[in-house]
Order: sequence, then C-alpha cells, then structure tokens
Amino acid sequence: MARTIAIKAAVCGVSPEAPNALLPSSARVIAKAHAAFDTRGRAAFLFEQTMTEPLSNIPGGMRYYFGREARLRRAVEDAVMSVFDGWGYEEIAAPAVDYYALFERGMGHEEARRSFRFTDTDGRLLALRPDVTSAVARAAATLFAQASRPLRLCYAASVFRQRPRSHAEWKRQVRQLGCELIGAGGEEADLEVLLIAAEVLERLGLGYRITVNHAGVFNGLAAQLALADAERESARGLIDTRDAAGLQSFLASRGGDGAGEAVPLARELARLSGKREVLDEALALAFDDGRVAGALKALERTWQVIETIGLEESFEVDLGDVSGLDYYTGLVFRIYVEGAGARVGGGGRYDELTANFGAREPAVGFVLDLDAVSEVLLRGGVFGVRGAGDASSSDVAAGSPGERFREARERRARGERIRLG
Amino acid sequence: MLTIAIAKGRMQHDALELLGRAGVRVSEEALRSRRLAVEDEEGRYRFIFVKPQDVPVYVEHGIADCGVVGRDVLLETGADVLQPLDLRIGCCRLAVAARKGLKVEEAGMLHVATKYPRVAAAHFGSRGVPVEIIGLSGSVELAPVLGLADCIVDLVETGRTLAENELEVVETITESTARLVVNRASYQLKSAAVASLVAAVSGAVNKGREES
Repeated sequence: MARTIAIKAAVCGVSPEAPNALLPSSARVIAKAHAAFDTRGRAAFLFEQTMTEPLSNIPGGMRYYFGREARLRRAVEDAVMSVFDGWGYEEIAAPAVDYYALFERGMGHEEARRSFRFTDTDGRLLALRPDVTSAVARAAATLFAQASRPLRLCYAASVFRQRPRSHAEWKRQVRQLGCELIGAGGEEADLEVLLIAAEVLERLGLGYRITVNHAGVFNGLAAQLALADAERESARGLIDTRDAAGLQSFLASRGGDGAGEAVPLARELARLSGKREVLDEALALAFDDGRVAGALKALERTWQVIETIGLEESFEVDLGDVSGLDYYTGLVFRIYVEGAGARVGGGGRYDELTANFGAREPAVGFVLDLDAVSEVLLRGGVFGVRGAGDASSSDVAAGSPGERFREARERRARGERIRLG
Repeated sequence: MLTIAIAKGRMQHDALELLGRAGVRVSEEALRSRRLAVEDEEGRYRFIFVKPQDVPVYVEHGIADCGVVGRDVLLETGADVLQPLDLRIGCCRLAVAARKGLKVEEAGMLHVATKYPRVAAAHFGSRGVPVEIIGLSGSVELAPVLGLADCIVDLVETGRTLAENELEVVETITESTARLVVNRASYQLKSAAVASLVAAVSGAVNKGREES
C-alpha cells in the first residue's frame, strides 16, 4: 500500500518523503493524489514503466481494435460476406500456419519472402499465412478435386507480413475479405467477380473506382521485345511509376532489333489510362500479334458489358498498371476508394496458379483489405454501425443475485440487450 | 482541389516558377506569409511546403495528391509513388567523393559518410565492395576531412563545397532532377484534375527546353 502511494505521489510531483507523512491523517491530500494520477499522472506513469517493462510495447505493425472501430469492422465484414453469400459463394477457412513452400508456389518467391517464417518439429519451413489464395488454390486442386465446377469460395481471414511493401502499407496483420471463382474461364467469370466487387463497395456506401487491365498486354509486349529478366523489370518499373519519358528513352536505348512493331504501343503504356478511347488507341497501336491484340480485345468485351450495365463511371481502363503481374494470366484489377491514399483491394485471373498444385484450371478472384476500408468508413462514411449503448440495452434492476440473474436470463431469452450494473 | 507538396529549399523557387509558367500561380503575398499551406490564385490547388524527404511521405499517404521532389530523395526513401514527369530543374548528381589521392581499392573496408544510406549501400553492394555506412544529417563533407570516413556519398551541384574541402568526385552514381510525383489513388480517383496538371506542367517543361 505504502509503495503504491509512493508511486502515485511521485507521478504528481510530491516529494518521496511526503507520502509517509500523509498516510495517517490527511485523506484529502491522498484523494488529490488519486485524482491527479487518474488524469495527467497516468501517462507519465505508463511512460516510466515502458522504460523498464517491455510488456506494454506492441510489436511494430500490430495493433488493437476496440470500441466503435471493432464494431464497425465486424459490421463491414458481415456486410461483405453477405454479398459473397448472395452470389452463391461458400465460406472456407484455411490454416493460419502452413508450409512456406505453399506460399512460395502460390505467390512467387518475392512476395512469400515477406512472411513470418519458422520451422516445424520435423525441420520443415512453416509460415504464418501471407495470403489466403494459395491455400484456396491448393484445396481446389486436392481437397475439392472431385467436386463439381465451378467452385465458388469466399473467406474472411487475417494475413501476416513481416515486411511492408511501402510506407503507407505498414501493417503486418491485415484482414482480407475475398472470393475465388475456380473452374470458370472467360469474360463472364471475370465480370461476375468485378460486379461482386462493385456491389460490395456500393453496399458500404464508398465512392470507388476499379481499374482494369489485362496481364497479356505487358507480358505480350515484353515477349515481342525479347526483354531479358532485368530489362523486363526496368520496363515494368518505368511503366508502373508512369515515367513516360524514362520509358521512351529506355526503349530508344535498346534500339530496333527486329522488335520494332511492339514499340509504338509499348512506349505509350505509361500514359494509357481512361475509358473506351484508351482501348481504341491501344488497338490502333498494337500490331496484329495474337497475344497483345487478343488481350486488348478481351478487355474490350469486358468493357462493353460494363458500359451496357451503366457502370463505366466507376471503372477505368489502366494499361499502365503492371506491378505484380506475375501471378495473373488475364484480367487484373485494382480497387481505389475516396478517402484512402492507397489501393484497398484488387484481383484478377490466375489460370496457372492451380497448376502449381497439380491440376491446371481457370480461376479468378479478388480481395478487399478490411483494415483500409474500415479506416475510411471510420473517418466519415455513411455505412451505419450501432453504438455501444443503444436504446435497446437497459440495466437490470437491483435485487438479490438470484433475482437479478433470473431476470437477466429471462430477458436474454427474449433477445433483449441488457447490461448488468 | 489538388494538394501539391513542394520540397522546401534548393528547388522551391524553380518549382514555383515552373508551375507559374504552367498557369498555376501563387500570389507573392501568400508566399511571403509564414503559412505552410497556401492556395493558388484560382483556388484549384493547395500547396504545402515541407522538407524534401517528407514530400514522398505526404504523397504516398495521399495527404498530398502530387508533389515536387528530387529524384535523389525518391531513390533514398524508396517511396511507392507515380513519377509521370521529369521537371528538368534542380539538376545535380549523386556522387561518391573522397580526399584527393585516396585509392579506393586499397582502403580495405570503406567507411562511407552520407545522408543517403540506402543509395550508398545499394551502390557499393552492387559491386561487392565492403562498406560501413555512417549516417549523417548534414555537413557530410566534414567527415573525410576529420577522418570519420574515407569517402562520402552526397548530392553534387557545382562541386564548389567539395573543392573547398579538398574533396573530389570519384564517381557519379546517378543524375538527379526534380520530379512531379503523384499518389496512386489520386491518379485514379482525381484522374481528370491530375491529367490536366500533368499536361500543363509538361507543356511548360518542354517550352522551357526549346527556349534554352
């Protein structure tokens, strides 16, 4: 007791000798010490403690969620999952810990390396899942090998990354809401997933823009230009950062070694974003190569449907979106919402992924970052979330414990929200 | 309205002058004030003036939609931002400089003092030279003079400061100029406003180039 008071007295600036003198009589001064402790004293007290007591520290990139934010996240997750359910998607829960090799195959070496890794009892390398798609693709090829197609699966799961991709993406634990349509190819399957994404964003009342691209455009041009791996990454970097001048001098420096036909479109990729006119311009520049023109025509068919259902204001063609394409084989899309400085989700077609697990089949899907979306909604969205002490909750009257708990059980059985005093 | 972050100091004047030629003007009065956020005369843009290394931070988080900052800063911070335009102002180079007569091959483990630890580590790492990077925040030229480091990696504009401290450029790592940078989300969500800014500034850059 004396020690507690010494600490409390210390944080509000009373000299160390004083508390003992105060102890016997002056209850008023002690009460004052308490008051100071509870307001401005607490911060100083906690700070002093952290210097010697690391338990109060939270590892970088991790955090608590509570109160209104926790309720909002729950409500957003429920709303999104109900949209997935409405389109016939079944929830799947994947292991949080899996073999590192799974993610290396599923995401590629560079992305998988960002995961938290540790070893199993037999020495095999494990990882805390850095994504969910890898495990879903493996399940499709193994667990659901005999199930009828297409498979429609969705999930809400936390993923973990040890290293962030950028400063704005510093979190190490992110909750992903995603869906995967496996065993269905073509633009119709692509559109199904695009429209689910649009419905989710509309349901959440967010102003959004979804950019669409096709992996075949850049990959086809890189093949025509016969770019070596390092050159391909340079070109990708220049296009991805929209460095139009840098891209043109890069292409000029490579000279015309028989790949000249690919150059007119390649040099414009950094600035080709917009609506239908972008596709028209790209098609005019593309020389009649099966892969590039095919990719552009597929995008055009997708765009046609987007226009037909009147969503072209919320969508945009972005041929310069070429980062992290290795995963994708067809449609690629990214989701931006008003109020967020970085993209909040994305997806696309990855027809080669399941082949890594033994059975190649078409697949398309997307994920939404619950954390990023909730942050936007928390700062001022129209998406409703109930308050902590809403009208329907009422206190249980005083009485003996037996009476109180009987009343509490009866009222709970009627579905009322109660709060014990 | 677009928010544009401008790097304070070295290139601030040139950047505002270039934007002025592109039709984006801030009144003299607003510039003379000590306010850190001012609007242009037509109320289409808001400018914020921050330290160069903070420009990519504001833009990456989307607090500023666009920014004007040197390529040196972008390389060092590794910021994930779009860089649609080379403004061709603030020309300088990132270089390795050492005391006259230093033989790099004979130094064994090189001690490198710099404000650009990432650039320096990547440069020496790419050639397999073992180095110890000593991070400083200013007056880097002093380090080799006093024996803290064998050489420095720093921005060289005219080379005068180097010469006055009896240092010379050993090699140029890369050239640097000011870039117009854009936040990834703003590029999509405010595409019309960003596109018109990029077009106007691009026109001013090219015009300036033809005249010079």
